[in-house]
Amino acid sequence: MADTEFQREALQHLNALYNFAVYLTRNPPEADDLVQETYLRAFRFSHRFQPGTHLRAWLFQILRNTFLTFYRLREREAAIAEDGVPDWDTPMFHDTPLDEGSAMEAHTDLERAMRRLPEEFRTVLLLAEVEGMPLEEVARVMACPVGTVKSRIFRAKERLRGLLKDYDSK
Amino acid sequence: MNDHVSDADEHLGRRLAAELPRYTAPASLRVAIVQALDPAPSRRPAWLSPLLAAAATAMVLAMVMLPLLPRMVPSDPSDQMLRAVVSEHSRALMWGSRQSQVIPAALPWLQEQSGIELSSTFVGDDLLTFVSAEPVYLLRQRGLAVHYRDTDGHLITYIALPGGDLKVPDRSRVQIERYRPALVRDSGFVTWVWKQRDVACFLVSDMVSTDDLERFKDYFVRVRASTEPSLAY
Repeated sequence: MADTEFQREALQHLNALYNFAVYLTRNPPEADDLVQETYLRAFRFSHRFQPGTHLRAWLFQILRNTFLTFYRLREREAAIAEDGVPDWDTPMFHDTPLDEGSAMEAHTDLERAMRRLPEEFRTVLLLAEVEGMPLEEVARVMACPVGTVKSRIFRAKERLRGLLKDYDSK
Repeated sequence: MNDHVSDADEHLGRRLAAELPRYTAPASLRVAIVQALDPAPSRRPAWLSPLLAAAATAMVLAMVMLPLLPRMVPSDPSDQMLRAVVSEHSRALMWGSRQSQVIPAALPWLQEQSGIELSSTFVGDDLLTFVSAEPVYLLRQRGLAVHYRDTDGHLITYIALPGGDLKVPDRSRVQIERYRPALVRDSGFVTWVWKQRDVACFLVSDMVSTDDLERFKDYFVRVRASTEPSLAY
């Protein structure tokens, strides 16, 4: 695939990637950086992309891996600096803490509840329900079997319903 | 129960798709990405790199090939002869005579070998010391060379060759007493060039400075007045 054609096709997914990045980082400037880094990586490794396969899933996978590599690492470093205790032994599916003051404001209960979901749950719901991605593509982005994706969607909705119920009761 | 859960899941899925705010990438992000992906325009003109590469290649080839190229040979026979005479003087200066002989004892042998007959020869005096005489072979012609050395150590070479092709350059002629030889400078040497009958005569030295040149004129007169070459056959 020629570079210009690859660039054109990749940029068609810019808005979807940016939306995903905002929900991952909860911070628009960081989402900007994350998306830009995603495209730079995608072009740097464009020779590895196989034409005919799903470019969208490939881009989302790069974005998520970049997020996990850099942003989580940064969060961990910050946690160590503040508490002096590493937090990587926290449970994988722990709830995201409440938004800090610097993070963007949530407009609806649904959005607020989404933000409180662990990243793995947030990601499957965003990809499968919001982006309408087939489960096979979601599995590719998350590098896990389709069965795991189904299980995570089920559990994510269950957790989301619980959070929404809390908001309703308040 | 399962149906109830399934319905609730579907409802929540539709709600997520419909109600969850979508964030649109700012235009500045698209611009930044496109700019980051496009290679920065080079400050060098596009034609400069191939030109520099070609020039560098040509220079390397020239350095490799230069020693292998044939040396440029003058097309004029007189120039060729002069170049050969200077080369012979340089060789004698560097390496000495190949077969030094003493005049006049060796004159018959020298005449036989060189094809040049010397009815009289300058054999040296208080300023110029005879060093040696030898036959030479220049430009496919036989000739002879007589070497002298002055009191300052300059080597002066007299060479006589069959001179049918030699044209003494008129513009370079210098009047010295009753003679009018040409003075030619080549490769850091000076040469008096003249003809006697059918013999081309040369007197070569490295006496190029103004003072040396005056002495070199004197040497010419001494050699010219005392040496009478002619073709032996």
